[in-house]
Amino acid sequence: MAPPERCSVCRQTFFCGRGHVYSRKHQRQLKVALERLLPQVEAARKALRAAQVERYVPDHERCCWCLCCGCEVRKHLSHGNLTVLHGGLLEHLASPEHKKATNRFWWENKGEFQMKEKFLISPQDYARFKKSMVKSLDSYEEKEDEVIKEMAAQIREVEHSRQEMVRSVLEPQTVPDPEEGSSAPGSWKGTNSQVASTSQQPSYVDLPPAPELDWMETGQPLTFIGHQDTPGIGNIHSGATPPWMVQDEDCSSGNQQIGPSYEEFLKEKEKQKLKKLPPDRVGANFDHNSSTSAGWLPSFGRVWNNGRRWQSRHQFKTEAAARNKQQLHKKKS
Amino acid sequence: MSFLLPKLSSKKEVDQAIKSTAEKVLVLRFGRDEDPVCLQLDDILSKTSSDLSKMATIYLVDVDQTPVYTHYFDISYIPSTVFFFNGQHMKVDYGSPDHTKFVGSFKTKQDFIDLIEVIYRGAMRGKLIVQSPIDPKNIPKYDLLYQDI
Repeated sequence: MAPPERCSVCRQTFFCGRGHVYSRKHQRQLKVALERLLPQVEAARKALRAAQVERYVPDHERCCWCLCCGCEVRKHLSHGNLTVLHGGLLEHLASPEHKKATNRFWWENKGEFQMKEKFLISPQDYARFKKSMVKSLDSYEEKEDEVIKEMAAQIREVEHSRQEMVRSVLEPQTVPDPEEGSSAPGSWKGTNSQVASTSQQPSYVDLPPAPELDWMETGQPLTFIGHQDTPGIGNIHSGATPPWMVQDEDCSSGNQQIGPSYEEFLKEKEKQKLKKLPPDRVGANFDHNSSTSAGWLPSFGRVWNNGRRWQSRHQFKTEAAARNKQQLHKKKS
Repeated sequence: MSFLLPKLSSKKEVDQAIKSTAEKVLVLRFGRDEDPVCLQLDDILSKTSSDLSKMATIYLVDVDQTPVYTHYFDISYIPSTVFFFNGQHMKVDYGSPDHTKFVGSFKTKQDFIDLIEVIYRGAMRGKLIVQSPIDPKNIPKYDLLYQDI
């Protein structure tokens, strides 16, 4: 048997010696590999005639694997900001080393003779490519210059229109007439909206948030109806008796009337519903007809508290006790 | 808008309303019918009153006609809204200094509806003070003056 040899195209080891190259499998692998390489070479060949210059993009760093030389080659040629498409590949294909390597590859792998030509580029072709490259570089530069000039013109235009607007607003303001003053904001708004639509966004974005704040801040200020403090009478904050708890003379006379039975029946119906309600809700055991003394105070005031309810109740009880004591003393004296 | 909501014009009527409203949140709007912010608030109240009819009853009270209540609740800015449940005054923490009443108007109907629902649920569970669900941005700002502090 022949010594083991590794075929790089089939990526396998064989013991057939030189016979392997003529086998069907090898030829098939070779064809596939060349088919893979062919499109790249064709694209480069097209670029021969009309070289394309483009702005540099990281994508232009891509490499292509040259089967014949067994090395990676940069596809596009880039220098600084610009790239020549397929420049790198063309350069490689035209080089003499590649020609030598291609010849050897064909001899070793017994490829088809016609195919070989397709993978080579003659020096004359390469020279032609170089000329077209120079031409396209020049035209690209011209284009860039044009674009820059256009942008400059645009900026100048916008600046000019802005100046105009400022001038037009300043002139009416010099006339100190109140009527003129009211019409100037109107014209300002008109021109402002025009400029806002044509110029940048930032000035326009400022407007919506401002009205939002206005609603909450002052918008319509709340009417103030005076301090409600008479020193003698307490209020909710000081824990005084709520007015609806205060027993009036009129209320007591109303309780003595005997209500009609129909109403009582309706009330019974209501009470049935009540049984379904949660039993520990606020005021569940509130007797709506009860008469209460001033001593029962459901709320102990204390808006400014941050403790528990029993603390404020405790405080209130001590204060009430102190107050009662004071009253007793006064009565005695 | 204020003619769509029932009004209370004397202390006795307010007493009656507080004592007789059962198992529903009682909303008393203290203010004046002509005041612009009151009009905004009344608009919201009247539009939501039918949806909230099972949970709340709403009354309008004129501050000039019930000086006792105006004084008791220390109403310095109108409109002020006070909430009751079964004769018990409900306090709500809005993020503002005064928990006993809501000063100003609501920004949207949904704010008011959410607030009523929170008060109702809190009251059903036996809570006397609840946390307001309204975004603090939408609560009107005012200066609280208590005895010239």
